[in-house]
Amino acid sequence: MTRVLSTLLSHYRRHPGQLVMLLLGLWVASALWSGIQAINATARDSYARADALFDTQLDQLERRDGAPLTRGEYYALRQAGLPVSPMLEGEVVTQAGTRLTLIGIDPLTLSSDNAMAQANTSASLSDFLTPPWQTRAAPDALAALGVARENASGATPTLADGNTLPPLVLAPALPPDTLIMDISAAARLLESGDEITRIVAAPWALAEAPSGFILTRATTLASPGQLTESFHLNLTALGLLAWVVGLFIVQAALGLALEQRLGMLRTLRVLGVSGRSLVVALCLELILLGLIGALAGIASGVWLARVLLPDVAATLGSLYGAGVGQELNLPWHYWVGGLAVSLGGLLLAGSGVLWRAARLNMLELGQMQAWRGGYRRQLTLMSISGALALSVALALYGWLRFQPPGDGLVAGFGLIAALLLASALWLPPFLALVLKVLTHLAQRRPLIHWAMADMQLQLPRLSLAMMALLIALATNLGVGSMVGGFRLTFLDWLDQRLVAPLYLNAPSEQYADIDVWLADRPEVFERLLTRRSDATLQATITPDGSRALGTPIELYGITPGESLTPHWPLLAIQQDRSSAWAAFSDGAIFVNEQLATAENLAPGDRLTLSAPGANETLTIAAIYPDYGNPRGQVLMASPQLAARFNAPPSSMGLVLNDNANVDAMRAALRERFDLGSDALSDQAEIKRIATEIFERTFTITRALNVLTLAVAALALFASLLAQARNRRQQLAPLWALGVPRAQLAQLNLAQLGGAALVTGLLAVPLGIAITWGLVAIINVAAFGWRLPLYLFPWEMAITLATAVGVALLAAALPTLRFWRASPRALLAEEANQ
Amino acid sequence: MLELHQVHKTYATPQGPLKVLEDVSLRLAAGQSLALMGESGSGKSTLLHLAAGIDLPDQGAITLEDQNVASLAEPARAKLRREQLGLVFQQFHLVPSLTVIDNLRLQARLAKRDDADWSGYLIERLGLTGMEKRYPEQLSGGQQQRLAIGRALAPRPSLLLADEPTGNLDETTAGKVLELLLSLVRETHCALLVVTHSPQVAAPLDRCLRLSHGRLLDAAP
Ligand SMILES: Nc1ncnc2c1ncn2[C@@H]1O[C@H](COP(=O)(O)OP(=O)(O)OP(=O)(O)O)[C@@H](O)[C@H]1O
Ligand SMILES: [Mg+2]
Repeated sequence: MTRVLSTLLSHYRRHPGQLVMLLLGLWVASALWSGIQAINATARDSYARADALFDTQLDQLERRDGAPLTRGEYYALRQAGLPVSPMLEGEVVTQAGTRLTLIGIDPLTLSSDNAMAQANTSASLSDFLTPPWQTRAAPDALAALGVARENASGATPTLADGNTLPPLVLAPALPPDTLIMDISAAARLLESGDEITRIVAAPWALAEAPSGFILTRATTLASPGQLTESFHLNLTALGLLAWVVGLFIVQAALGLALEQRLGMLRTLRVLGVSGRSLVVALCLELILLGLIGALAGIASGVWLARVLLPDVAATLGSLYGAGVGQELNLPWHYWVGGLAVSLGGLLLAGSGVLWRAARLNMLELGQMQAWRGGYRRQLTLMSISGALALSVALALYGWLRFQPPGDGLVAGFGLIAALLLASALWLPPFLALVLKVLTHLAQRRPLIHWAMADMQLQLPRLSLAMMALLIALATNLGVGSMVGGFRLTFLDWLDQRLVAPLYLNAPSEQYADIDVWLADRPEVFERLLTRRSDATLQATITPDGSRALGTPIELYGITPGESLTPHWPLLAIQQDRSSAWAAFSDGAIFVNEQLATAENLAPGDRLTLSAPGANETLTIAAIYPDYGNPRGQVLMASPQLAARFNAPPSSMGLVLNDNANVDAMRAALRERFDLGSDALSDQAEIKRIATEIFERTFTITRALNVLTLAVAALALFASLLAQARNRRQQLAPLWALGVPRAQLAQLNLAQLGGAALVTGLLAVPLGIAITWGLVAIINVAAFGWRLPLYLFPWEMAITLATAVGVALLAAALPTLRFWRASPRALLAEEANQ
Repeated sequence: MLELHQVHKTYATPQGPLKVLEDVSLRLAAGQSLALMGESGSGKSTLLHLAAGIDLPDQGAITLEDQNVASLAEPARAKLRREQLGLVFQQFHLVPSLTVIDNLRLQARLAKRDDADWSGYLIERLGLTGMEKRYPEQLSGGQQQRLAIGRALAPRPSLLLADEPTGNLDETTAGKVLELLLSLVRETHCALLVVTHSPQVAAPLDRCLRLSHGRLLDAAP
């Protein structure tokens, strides 16, 4: 067996390029896949820890009148016999400038199965409860605290404000951005006096809210895991794509290595090696190569993840407010899984080769003929499977149409995958058909006729690479349009909402005075006061009946004046815009798209909203887009919000007259009211920050997209290289018949460029379909809002050019080699076969 | 028609330069036929390749239809091959992507001299009737060689160069193919240069030359 194996491997000594290609494919496939999995695993781990911590596991009490909670109230509730626990929450800034959440708990009253109470430490309870107390922190928070891991235990890092933390205790189960300590220690650090942030209780430990309090149930709080699931699904889908495309390369390289060793295999068979031991030897070879490729791939995948993780963490932080550790945290099954996926893929890609080796015909007779027929069968099979995939896509689409909006994220991705698969499967039969027709049409042009006929013969070996190219191009186009469309929509929306050149953020008690002062200033055209407050959506009343809920939402108040109302985008209204705004001023509400999607609301429906000190039932007058906001929001006129819910002011936009001096206005305001430097912000500055966050959001998507295309190019390149020798031998007789070499080289490039062009042209409608699936299905399912479909002809042209460019580039090297080799030698080369 | 004048050809090999042809001169008039014999490795194929402009001599002149092949640029040499020469190889070199009829008419079409009647006649004469829509691999060895001859004759070349055209065939088939080749050559009045090992092949031709260690000897058949 070792003799057989070493004979097989000796092939790679003469053709090191093939070995490189094979390992490259394996490496790329497993690197991209495992890199993405590493990011996912790390992020999931972070969410799991955040989830386990509190939001989703504890019920919360707030005062009905909205005033802050105090220790006194907590004691009163305890004395009434209620199983509640106090909690203090605040932010501390480390010396490095990182903001960490500090949570003070009372471990004695906190239900003991809560993650915060346990936090996986072995330290005794009395050390936690008594001075100098303890700080529980996750190992991945140490970097922010400026503490080395070796001497973390017992360290007392100093904060930016000069206070020192109680001695550290490592608690791996905590989220990376959270510190936990006893509530009394936290109160000292946060200087919170008698106030506490919340009063919590184990889920359903309280049957109803004590009088004077509002109870929010744990299950109605959103968890970052849910919100970010789509993001990770997105990443996984891209990773899977890269993996599939990488395996195309492997397939091409293996096919080539077998093709060139057919003679060797035949000889071995003739020399008495059984077919079975040949297959076993090939299997061993695959596993050997697979192990090398997969290990290299996983190593570089981890590296890739390390590079991308800060961007991912930033994206998730800005999009969903989910804290993700900046350090990789990989469970053991990640490594095993990565290896299994790579090896599995390799065996999948190699199965064709093994199958062919097993059925190796010792007499080479009629090989070409059998192959021609075999390919025809394969095309039929592809058409049928393509039709099947399309019916799956149609079925999923039909099913999705009857699903309530907001569900069907997985089905949406399934729909896109089925669509991609169907198109990829139909590509070779389609190309074959086109070539057949063209061959027929070009009867009178001998060279073109030959080129088309020859392309038909090349197709079987090229089709896998062309399929990979189609998938990569379509995905690229689809994701590109989605991102581009998102960008346009988002910027547009930002423009519509940020109408004032100057925005004021002051302590809420100052607004009344500022407002009075501004009212007298002639250069101020309009003051746009906003207010905000949290509330609970208690019930919805729709034509179908009323439904009780307990969803936390945000109340937001705007000033519906001349500056804002003409531009504010509305998606659905009952009659016309002006009557919607009139109703709005009179106390009707607008709801954002995410809330409307989640609760299936339409204009005319009524909502019962409760906030501390208020309970109102109001009519929806319109639905508006609210991009990037993960929460449900209810919009009201600022005065109405103040009157009904007693919401405090949160900001004020200043619309100035045309010739007013913005800088003078800013200076006057700061002087008069003694405002901090960050109290006044420019519209331009706000837009810049928003755009920056947004741009970062899509860095990863773009990077992976480009990588996928690069991998597809590599696949094409590998397949072309694989048949380069064969091609040269087919071109040589033509040259002998009097076709100049330059013309042959041009034809060769034109053949592949043309095939890539057709593939690229097919990728355009497919890409549009994918964009549509992303904006109309996946976005709605993931975020609750729909994006308008934008198309970018310029980008499509670039994609087409890329397709052709990639093909030409891939064809260039083999062509160059043909160009440089003397055809006379090629004629002899064939003679030797 | 074809004239080689003091042609030398040396190949560079890892063991140093290898002289394949030394001071070879020969002349072939229009419509004449010539057999080239000699032991294996004596340089017969090399001479044929030089005559066809597939390879270039180190020294000496090769004139084909009053043109000096060696001084022509590659496209001009290709044009010369396409329009004046018919080539038949030992390994057929048929184009696998084209059907029998398209293979047969390929060079004629390239030379813009496609003539449906003539190719139909060739098909019939070559005994390939009914196989026009097949692909080369669906033919027997003898049929493939006949097709290769047909392809070379379809553009009505003025010179047919054949390198062991029957080397891959059994004796009976070889005899039949050769007979066919000669009668078609006579019909078209084209000159013929055949490389062969076989005296039977050489016998019916006008002349016979022998190559030995790169030098040309006149030899009786
Ligand atoms: N490209 C090349 N490089 C180096 N040597 C070559 C090359 N082509 C041919 N030769 C050598 O030149 C010599 C003549 O070769 P050629 O093919 O002309 O022989 P031949 O007479 O046709 O032989 P055969 O009857 O076996 O076909 C041989 O010794 C061969 O090894
Ligand atoms: Mg020879």
